[in-house]
Amino acid sequence: MSLFWYLSVSFVLFFCGIAVMIARKNIIAILLGIELILNAAALNFAAYTRFLNQNLDGHIMSLFIIIIAAAEAAVGLAIVIRFYQIRESIHIDDATQLQH
Amino acid sequence: MNPTFVTYLEQFLGYPATNLMAAVFFLVAVSILVGVMATIGGLGTYAERKISADIQARIGPNRVGPFGLLQMLADGVKMILKEDIIPSKADKLIFILAPMMAMFGVFATLAVLPFSSGLTLTDLNIGVFYVLGVGSFVGVAIFLGGYASNSKWSMLGGMRGASQIISYEIPVTLSILVAVTMAGGLSFSTLVEAQTGLPHGWYLFHNPFSFIAFFVLFIGALAETNRAPFDLPEAESELVSGYHTEYTGMRFGFFALAEYVEVFVVCGIAAALFLGGYKVPFDLGNGEVLSNALMNIPFLKMVVPMTNGTPIFKLLGSGLGQLLQLGSFFTKTLALYYVVIWIRWTLPRLRVDTLMTLCWKYLTPIALFNLLGAATWMVVFHGKSIYQIIFESGAAQAVGGH
Amino acid sequence: MFDKLLFFSSFLLTISGAAMVLGSKDLVRACIALLACLFGVAGLYATLNADFLAATQLVVYAGGVVILMLFAIMLTGGSNNAVNRFGINKVPSMGDGKTLAFGILSGAVATLTIFKITKNVFIDYNLQEIPGYSSTVEQIGQLLVTNHVLAFEISSILLLGALIGAAVIARPRKS
Repeated sequence: MSLFWYLSVSFVLFFCGIAVMIARKNIIAILLGIELILNAAALNFAAYTRFLNQNLDGHIMSLFIIIIAAAEAAVGLAIVIRFYQIRESIHIDDATQLQH
Repeated sequence: MNPTFVTYLEQFLGYPATNLMAAVFFLVAVSILVGVMATIGGLGTYAERKISADIQARIGPNRVGPFGLLQMLADGVKMILKEDIIPSKADKLIFILAPMMAMFGVFATLAVLPFSSGLTLTDLNIGVFYVLGVGSFVGVAIFLGGYASNSKWSMLGGMRGASQIISYEIPVTLSILVAVTMAGGLSFSTLVEAQTGLPHGWYLFHNPFSFIAFFVLFIGALAETNRAPFDLPEAESELVSGYHTEYTGMRFGFFALAEYVEVFVVCGIAAALFLGGYKVPFDLGNGEVLSNALMNIPFLKMVVPMTNGTPIFKLLGSGLGQLLQLGSFFTKTLALYYVVIWIRWTLPRLRVDTLMTLCWKYLTPIALFNLLGAATWMVVFHGKSIYQIIFESGAAQAVGGH
Repeated sequence: MFDKLLFFSSFLLTISGAAMVLGSKDLVRACIALLACLFGVAGLYATLNADFLAATQLVVYAGGVVILMLFAIMLTGGSNNAVNRFGINKVPSMGDGKTLAFGILSGAVATLTIFKITKNVFIDYNLQEIPGYSSTVEQIGQLLVTNHVLAFEISSILLLGALIGAAVIARPRKS
């Protein structure tokens, strides 16, 4: 196992995350895509820490990414639930109030 | 590498294991442990019936085998032979996946459970944290089991189970952190070795905060394993049988087994963190005292040829020490297990709102306050326990006084 | 050998999980695929000598985020009407072939762009000798309260803000 394998996993995660974000019209599914992208970034940090320099700043960075992902999921899902209470839908095309 | 069961065996038997042999050893140990734990889970159902019968002045199972001990085998045969029904409107993949996930989450925690200083499958340096992480799969499994059944009862049970498990994870984690703060490490060996065999060195009696933390942990653990009085996910008077209403046969058996083994695991963790775990009084556990004592028995001296006899005594003493440690761990864990069953058949069930009130308005603030208090205690008294403080001040007075 | 076994099983779990998140038409199944994928990432962390990160990944994602997602799905799963409030047909909520094609295209573009930017880093670094495994818990703990204490405190404020904000936003209001 070299750095290449880990980076390729991270690229695949990133690709799937972007594709999910664009392809889905459901807000929760879009949040799933965001989780994938954040994980790709965190995995990259950990991989570079292991293979490039062994100081643990990369691990700290990954930790903060995980923390931010958790906070983002909590607030994002709260917004989804609030949106559902107002519009009775979680379709992204129904969130058009700011356009008008 | 982390010290594992295999490294201990190498020390015990005295020669290094090759890679393949280590793997074989490990596989054998794992399969034995899983078998033993499955049996303990089965015996848990038997104990539950017997104790409930005792509390309700009945006799309980007494037909199959001596004292009805083989009842669990009969139950197991019944479960395997029953028809395995998957509801036609169920989400088949998730329906099949959920019980396996519950089993996986519970049995994966066994990898770090410290049965004795030697018989710990692997002593991860993140032991407690690993248990918390893997154990949360059970919550997902209960939720998915409820969802996949496509039935209102199951859905409600699953929702209740998941919300309860993620809520009570907070006081439990904070209480575990109290013990971690005191020991200064996440691995179970650090946590257990920091305590002593006799109760004065247990973390339960270390300071008032850890005393409270143990009870918060125990209450939270009851809720996390869906045991009464917190068994709302399977409240049979409201929700037929909760998240496993639609499950039959062995899939239901998986859920039940996972629950009983999880209760054992949680009791074991509480015992390891606060009740001294596998430590035996008077240092009998590490084997040196025992082997020395064995060497000094005149009868054995005559029987065993002393030319090359010392290693045998060491082996014997070490083995006996491990057995004592196992006994100590199992005694504490099974005592807690008994209390869990006792509580189930004594207390009535809570309502959903009172359950959440108890968690968020009482246990979580108490646990937070506890963590702060324990950390302050460790700084102010330099990590000494109440016993040490009283003993030392008494000794100082005795020496420095009149 | 065990490292390789762990790596390849985690690798397969991660890749197939991510692919199933992309391919699944069912939101709950996509969530479970995400859980499998994140579990695989935790395994990858374990092979990277990042034991603390692996456990954190399990605690935060398996115990928190995925259950939260499932909860949100259950709380909002009701309506499935195909037209919006102007009477125009909506794209199905899990997307159709067109959106999937767009998604894959834009994903490919973004990934290739990043690959182009980071190509030098990706290939040119000659990797140094990798040391053996050691525990990272103590070092991470020390780093968190020495070098990175500001980030640590700010993240705690962020989490507190997220906690209160999520509770305030999601609270049902009578109107």
